[in-house]
Amino acid sequence: MNTIILNGSPKGNPKQSNSRIFAEHFVKEMRNPCEIKRIAENDSKELARYAAGFDTIIIILPLYIHAMPGLVMKFIEKLEPAPPTPATPSGPKTIGFIIQAGFMETAQHKYVEPYFRRLAEQLNYTYLGTVSKGEAAGIYMYPKMFKKVLKLISELGVAYEKTRAFDKEIVKKLSKPYQLSSFQLRLLKVVDIVGLSNIGWHKVLKQNGAFEQRLDRPFI
Amino acid sequence: MKTVIITEGENIPASADYTLDLAKAEVQDCIGCWSCWWKTPGRCAFKDLDEFYHHYVTADRAIIVSQVTKGFVSGKLKTLFDRMIPLYLPYTEYSTGESMHVPRYGRYPDIEFYYQGTFVPPDGRQIFVDYIQRVFYQFHSKNIVVKPIGERNS
Ligand SMILES: Cc1cc2nc3c(=O)[nH]c(=O)nc-3n(C[C@H](O)[C@H](O)[C@H](O)COP(=O)(O)O)c2cc1C
Repeated sequence: MNTIILNGSPKGNPKQSNSRIFAEHFVKEMRNPCEIKRIAENDSKELARYAAGFDTIIIILPLYIHAMPGLVMKFIEKLEPAPPTPATPSGPKTIGFIIQAGFMETAQHKYVEPYFRRLAEQLNYTYLGTVSKGEAAGIYMYPKMFKKVLKLISELGVAYEKTRAFDKEIVKKLSKPYQLSSFQLRLLKVVDIVGLSNIGWHKVLKQNGAFEQRLDRPFI
Repeated sequence: MKTVIITEGENIPASADYTLDLAKAEVQDCIGCWSCWWKTPGRCAFKDLDEFYHHYVTADRAIIVSQVTKGFVSGKLKTLFDRMIPLYLPYTEYSTGESMHVPRYGRYPDIEFYYQGTFVPPDGRQIFVDYIQRVFYQFHSKNIVVKPIGERNS
């Protein structure tokens, strides 16, 4: 298996990147862990050329405004279509995506997922699929609270090494909830009204001496 | 009517109070540092868009001319979208049945979004249009028009 993992997080400090944590867990229990590269620390053109040498590219990325970060799109711009199939001894080249994001529901990812499918087509790559996980923004701060999620990511990696596919059952588990249920919505609204949802945020703002400015409108 | 124009090198016959040409401007990519939410609320750690932010949140409409790239918005335009996160609050609201950012400002411009380029059939164009509609819905613009540049009434 000849797969490269690309971490699409633009975070300046990769230690704080959830995509990095996902990437490391994805390869953690593989017998032959795949190479991982960070898009942010490479020249897009060179990295695109390098990645094209692999049978499969898996991009692990944060959702930014319902899609890939600008930096990842700049990399995608540099990917050249593969020659007509079969491009490799094992068949056509393949591309897949693992998205993790802040909002809870993975329906937030539905605008970019069909694009990724069409992108694979434009590149003459087989589309491996897109794995989605919501409510992931805090993983780097509280990795222990996300043990179950990270275990699923490692299982996804093991299954991928065996089958060269994203395991449907694991993908389904990760993608929940797709939409917020009416019960969840009622609960979230109550939590909001009593002010519980923002306790953590407000603590950070206070630590930074920015609490009083939190609603500022500096540009009018 | 105050108008902001965002282009990628294209000249369009419309008068603007402010123009951001992404073919010329060097806009830093967002690095996810969250300064704009937790350290200096509303202000990005990078200062290269300060003038744009001012004109955008005080405009009645924004005209955007996008060069379709691999069936999507270009990396440069996507970076601009990412860098608009300081214009919204970190709080989430659920009144529409899904997670939405809370506006930081009282209002945002109407959007006229024109695109130029090709798509993968059969649904590449629809995927693009749905995406743009969603971005500016999330960005709390009230009226959003997305059309090919050829259909713009000058
Ligand atoms: C500019 C920007 C835009 C974002 N847009 C979204 C979004 O549209 N939906 C969402 O659920 N999360 C969004 N997020 C949250 C990130 O996806 C989330 O924090 C992710 O875990 C960051 O991954 P990283 O640590 O690997 O960079 C956004 C974050 C930033 C900085």
